[in-house]
Amino acid sequence: MTLIWGGLSLGAVYALVALGYNIVFTASGTFNFAHAQLLMLGTFLAYWGLAVAQWPVLAVFLLAAGAVGVVAVAEERFAIRTVRGTEAQLVTTVGVATLINGASQLIWGSQPLTVPFFSGKGQADTTVWTLFGGRVLPVEVVLIVVAIVLAIGLIYYSRHSMTGLAVLAMAEDREAAALRGINVRMLTLGAFAVSGVLAGAVGPVVGPRTFAVATLGSALALKGFVALALGGFGSIGGGVVGGFAIGLTEQYAARYFGSTYVNLTIFGVLLLILLARPAGLFGRAQERMV
Amino acid sequence: MLPTIRRLPGWLLPAVLAVVLVGLPQLGLDLSTQRQIELTCILALLVSGLNLSLGYAGELALGQAAVYAVGAYLSGYLGTHGHTDILLQLLASAAAALVVGLITGIPGLRLGSWSLAMTSFFLVLLVPDLIAMFPDQTGGRIGLVGLGFPTLFGRELAGPDYYLFVTAVTVLWFLVLRNLVTSRHGAAFRVLRQSPVLAASTGISVYRLKLTAYAMGSVPAGVAGTLFANLDHYISPTAFDFSLAVSILAASILGGSASVYGALVGAAIMQFGPMESTSFQKYALVVYGAFLIIGGVLLAEGLAGIMRRLGRRGTQLLRRRQPGDQRAQREPGAQQEAPLGQPGDQRAQREPGAQREAPVPRPGEQREQREPGEASVSRGAGAVDAIGGAELAVHGISKRFSGLQALRDVSLSAVPGQVTALIGPNGSGKTTLLNVIGGFYGADAGSITVGGREPGRRPHLVARAGVARTFQTPIVPAGLSVLEAVAVGRYMMPYRSLVSAVLRLPGYRRVRAADLREARHALELVGIADLADADAAALPLGTRRLLEVACALVAHPKLLLLDEAASGLDEAEIDTLAGLIRRIRYAGGTVLLVEHNFRLVLSLADHIHVLAQGQVIASGPPAEIEHHPAVLREYLGVQPDERISDLAALQAEVR
Repeated sequence: MTLIWGGLSLGAVYALVALGYNIVFTASGTFNFAHAQLLMLGTFLAYWGLAVAQWPVLAVFLLAAGAVGVVAVAEERFAIRTVRGTEAQLVTTVGVATLINGASQLIWGSQPLTVPFFSGKGQADTTVWTLFGGRVLPVEVVLIVVAIVLAIGLIYYSRHSMTGLAVLAMAEDREAAALRGINVRMLTLGAFAVSGVLAGAVGPVVGPRTFAVATLGSALALKGFVALALGGFGSIGGGVVGGFAIGLTEQYAARYFGSTYVNLTIFGVLLLILLARPAGLFGRAQERMV
Repeated sequence: MLPTIRRLPGWLLPAVLAVVLVGLPQLGLDLSTQRQIELTCILALLVSGLNLSLGYAGELALGQAAVYAVGAYLSGYLGTHGHTDILLQLLASAAAALVVGLITGIPGLRLGSWSLAMTSFFLVLLVPDLIAMFPDQTGGRIGLVGLGFPTLFGRELAGPDYYLFVTAVTVLWFLVLRNLVTSRHGAAFRVLRQSPVLAASTGISVYRLKLTAYAMGSVPAGVAGTLFANLDHYISPTAFDFSLAVSILAASILGGSASVYGALVGAAIMQFGPMESTSFQKYALVVYGAFLIIGGVLLAEGLAGIMRRLGRRGTQLLRRRQPGDQRAQREPGAQQEAPLGQPGDQRAQREPGAQREAPVPRPGEQREQREPGEASVSRGAGAVDAIGGAELAVHGISKRFSGLQALRDVSLSAVPGQVTALIGPNGSGKTTLLNVIGGFYGADAGSITVGGREPGRRPHLVARAGVARTFQTPIVPAGLSVLEAVAVGRYMMPYRSLVSAVLRLPGYRRVRAADLREARHALELVGIADLADADAAALPLGTRRLLEVACALVAHPKLLLLDEAASGLDEAEIDTLAGLIRRIRYAGGTVLLVEHNFRLVLSLADHIHVLAQGQVIASGPPAEIEHHPAVLREYLGVQPDERISDLAALQAEVR
């Protein structure tokens, strides 16, 4: 059961990455390669706020959410809006990812940094809970809950609010949505802002589980992508389920094959999904338009 | 002086540069610069592989660094186990690279364009794991040491000899790449990048071609690995990280992804610029990142594109200084033989290829005097060769898009030697039916046969079965001349392998000559032969349509589907088109025409099917359809009791 908890909490991180991919992908049709780097930036800011500056927890949350949100908005403004075409946008988002990677390496170095979990006591908390016969850290439970709640909230929001429906309309047909009076440009910017704010806000929760380290972005980007491919592009719920599945796979692979084989196993899973069911478990196949 | 330069063949400059590159040590080049050039060549190989998939096939791949590692370690393993023959190592690395390319490409290309990027990028993440899995063979974290000098036919390659070998291999690869890109495969890549739909409708298997480009692009990365392993006799596991993957991408963008030699330029800037200095290393990622953003935004075509554009502008400036008709320079092929100049004829001047022998109607002239196509066909002369048309039989086709029943039990046929028209109001399902016939949509029920046989369910299979089509909005590939764009229509007839194209084997040359001959003929048929060398993407709408028809004709289709081929054409162009369609009919072709121009349909069609709300509401010869009450009601919104029988008059009135 400890293994399952570990898998689920790791999976929650991947689910959060997949969630971010989905928000932007649904709203703008862009695959934001840099989303995992935004999340990584959140963990670094959490490290700085909690361990270095020792700000109050709420202030750290606000700082991470606000700063990463600003970065995401800047990304949309300078690297997405100015570029047409999927390949060119992929190149610029890879550029943003590289930039964030390089900048965090410059500022925080390349050694993994321990992000303390906020416990109210102002220092590292060593509590371990025992749930369903498995040992689990409080931060892991929080992570799992956050991922699920966020996903449910987003699904509800997208189906029941005007903004959510507008985004769905935009995903279906940008031009038609614009003709209906939907501010397509604002919504795209908004999607980036929301994904950025979320990525930053979960930083203080993700950081204690993964450490803040400059290689986190690439690893998360790939695992988050596998989660997305497994769940199906554009499917929020699918992405979260995919994330959990990948997290569990990773823990079991590490347990039974050894940690060297983790990435190879997940790569195998990715190849299998793409071969057997490219639309993902929850995605719908779209017919091509002429 | 400049005209003399322009007359020189295009391969001369690269050939001279190649000789200089290989011969530099003879000119007294010092060893450290030699090493720099060797590293540049290695990086250029990596970049050119990426160019093949990103620039030509339009798929971003980030795995070059990993394939490079495979090549390097494989060569290292062979080298430390007594197989120092570098040709053997190159061959093994190239083969391994191809295998890795296929393993990642086959699944990676099944999803959207980012899926290949991620799948191949995953490889980069796997490199350290794989190295850790085989510590004895790879040297683990310490790196692989103890590689001896490579040998070529038993002779050791050291210093200048190795330089010679590296540059020679690079030159050879670029020759291969150049031959590939300038072949019909290169043209097919460009069509694919422009529009997978267009590619499929010319019989190209989109998936196969993308896979080919990507897997081919892995080969130089493997080769580069071998060259790298034997350069320093040491392989460091840190050489193949994220940073390398990004620098390859940056070099590709810098040099221009859709160019052959841009890879060398980009690699040289990376190698000789400030990027490799130790003080820069710290900031490398930040600079690469910023560069990719700026590069992605500004340099959509890279340095090669900017040079090309500057070159074009230079030639234009030069030409402008020469005496001559300026308009003719701006608009290729705009030669009028009848004196024009009335304000109303400006349109004709604006459009390239608008040459006319027959007098052009003034705007005030009565239109009714000129039945479309009735006037003698003034251009586009030349008989259509006999076409073995095949009968199209559509039986009981239904198609539903979630809530919308787009087609309901549609049955119709089109026979050889006749023009069959499909008309109906907007949204009645005409284009949907064409898409079902073309294999772009799967039908929910019913069957379609061409010449009594089912053509297959995928667009490229349908196209290979002899079905050619044009699109409502013409799709014209960028970066190709008009002649090339038409010649691509013959890509599959017959298919010639990449190897045959790269080596320019006699079989390839024969097919290529036939391609160009047929393409020229097709351009003559549609009357735009004078535009053969113009840039296809720069054509105005009307001419694009004629180009599309030429593309469709060049494949000698058994069945020709024309989707609103006349819309956007001026009257003279409609005349040409109508004349052409008539000649196709006389030649025995089967034509299915979707058209809104009712007069054109009435004058051209032998048989008309009328669609409304996804159903065939009437079928018959034009004379019958013209007065069919259901047609009048559905198609023109006219109540039968209004007693308007002359549809043509009504049509003229509506205009």
